[in-house]
Amino acid sequence: MRLPRLLKSVSFRLAAFYAAAFGASVLVLGTVIYFTASAAFDNQIHARMAAESSALLDIYRQSGLTGLRAAIATRQGHRLYLGLEYGIYDARGVLREGTLPPARPASGWSHVTGPPDGDEEPGDDEEMMVVATPLPGGEMLAVGDDLQSREEFDEAILKTFGLGLALSLTLAAAGGALVSSLFLRRVDAITQSAEAIIQGDMAHRIALRGTGDDLDALSTTLNRMLDRIASLVEAMRQVTNDVAHDLRTPIGRLRQSLDDARRAPASEAELRDAMSRAIDQTDSILATFAALLRIAQVEAGSRRAGFRTVDLSALVEGIVQTFAPAAEDAGMTLTATIAPGVTTVGDAELLTQMIVNLVENALAHTSKGTRIAIALSPTAAIAVSDDGPGIPPDARGRIFQRFYRLDASRRTGGSGLGLSLVAAIAELHGAAIALDNNAPGLRVTVSLSCR
Amino acid sequence: MRILLIEDDAETAAYIARGFREHGHAVDHRTEACDGLAAGGAENFDVMIVDRMLPGMDGLSVVKTLRGGGVKTPILFLTTMTGIDDRVEGLNAGGDDYLAKPFDFFELLARANALARRPPLTGHVLELRVGDLELNLLKREVRRGGQPIDLQQKEFQLLEFLMRHAGHVVTRTMLLEGVWNYHFDPKTNIVETHISRLRSKIDKGRVELLHTIRGSGYCLRAPAAAS
Repeated sequence: MRLPRLLKSVSFRLAAFYAAAFGASVLVLGTVIYFTASAAFDNQIHARMAAESSALLDIYRQSGLTGLRAAIATRQGHRLYLGLEYGIYDARGVLREGTLPPARPASGWSHVTGPPDGDEEPGDDEEMMVVATPLPGGEMLAVGDDLQSREEFDEAILKTFGLGLALSLTLAAAGGALVSSLFLRRVDAITQSAEAIIQGDMAHRIALRGTGDDLDALSTTLNRMLDRIASLVEAMRQVTNDVAHDLRTPIGRLRQSLDDARRAPASEAELRDAMSRAIDQTDSILATFAALLRIAQVEAGSRRAGFRTVDLSALVEGIVQTFAPAAEDAGMTLTATIAPGVTTVGDAELLTQMIVNLVENALAHTSKGTRIAIALSPTAAIAVSDDGPGIPPDARGRIFQRFYRLDASRRTGGSGLGLSLVAAIAELHGAAIALDNNAPGLRVTVSLSCR
Repeated sequence: MRILLIEDDAETAAYIARGFREHGHAVDHRTEACDGLAAGGAENFDVMIVDRMLPGMDGLSVVKTLRGGGVKTPILFLTTMTGIDDRVEGLNAGGDDYLAKPFDFFELLARANALARRPPLTGHVLELRVGDLELNLLKREVRRGGQPIDLQQKEFQLLEFLMRHAGHVVTRTMLLEGVWNYHFDPKTNIVETHISRLRSKIDKGRVELLHTIRGSGYCLRAPAAAS
């Protein structure tokens, strides 16, 4: 079970591929060296034999056949003089002098086989290269060289390269197997972590080795993905709970209104009144659903596809023009400091709603005389600040959660979803939100990127 | 008005039809997409109200088919699909307006009225006039009885919208969408605030042109038309 997996592993396949490539290059190199070396060896043999042949011819020309036979006899006396063998054949083709095989070779270069002389493999004949030169007297002078040395040379080259090839293939295969098994062990660890999470241990994370290598980087990314999924799942669970809890109250009130109207309608006017109240309550429940849906849609991220360049300066200016009169009517002031020509890439409709929600949040949770200020910096940071009661530091982390309301603001109504939508829209635009103490009051800064 | 209503939910259809009939309009109701398609292609209506989710065929396809067949009747989509992109999708398919369920009947009535009497798009109108109130789009000037009135930018846009719909009720939502391009419901009463400022500038001490229609919206109309 273990081995086939190893063979299937990517790293082993890579190792095998490299081993094959390396082996092939050793093979090509070996072949080239073999042929080059053999050719050089052959040339050397030929040159030596040609030189010997012409030396003997010189002797023949000076001292005739007798001198030649004497020279050959002398040379053969030292059996291993240059390792060559000789033969003089008479006009009838009979070997008269020398140790070459008795059959007269053809004139020129040829291969001949003769009886074994002891240095070859048992059972093999003697292999020789022979150069034969006809003499003017009708005789034939032959010089031969045992090809055994050449065979030994070939064998040595082939053996060396064969050994090298086998060694490199073995090393590559062993190395590949080792590397893949190390790699597989770590992949297995990741697989096991994933299995553990599938089994329900949502808190499980892939262990890192701290080496910062590719697998660590992959594990870190996977862990971040798991964190994201876990936070989404948690948010979903939270929302389900919150929806159930938070909608019970208004639906309960709606039921009371309807029940009242049914039981004791004193007059038609009162009945209409009760109906109007019930419709208002229904509308507020529907508004809560709409807000939840909108947050969900923004969080789904599909709006990102429609991002365009947005003139933030104009957008903020429009909001200020729209809300300043309403603030004034509520006994507050809304002022703005807007850097000109600031643009970002985003969804104008959502950005508008985000800023409107921040302004409305300030309007809703402060009292008469409050000064609200909107500032748009040249770097596309939008800050909405007020000098109202502010929020306690320990609540800052939670005000972007759905349905979260400060105790102080429960009376003032609101769904507790406005800032959640702000957070979702900021997240969609990759913008950071900062909550600061405006001393006194609250300052919310959304840092968009100016593009 | 003669209205074609393509809506599969019987209760919603009855609610809409009753409402329009109470206001003196005729409603032809079709439950099926193909019946609706046949009726819409064959007869003349002032407005068509089409549900987005119909059995067998998407309302979007119905409208695309009608538009492809050259039907130019104004179409209003009704939908429970309140997705932010759905509106754009509906308008791109050839719808003229979009209303999310659940809705207030007056909202639907006002929008149907506005669609049915939408003036033909014959070039650019440069000057709007209601009674003795004039609005010059080129000079961005407003005069009442010849007297110049100084308006803030949003007040000017609000007045322009009201004058373009003069004589018809416009709802708060129509104003939010048409003047502010807000496709969400702000909690602050910005429409009321701007209406009251605009009213004090154009109507104060004069015959009232800008009327509040209780429970539904606002209406700008010349005094002669008021009865």
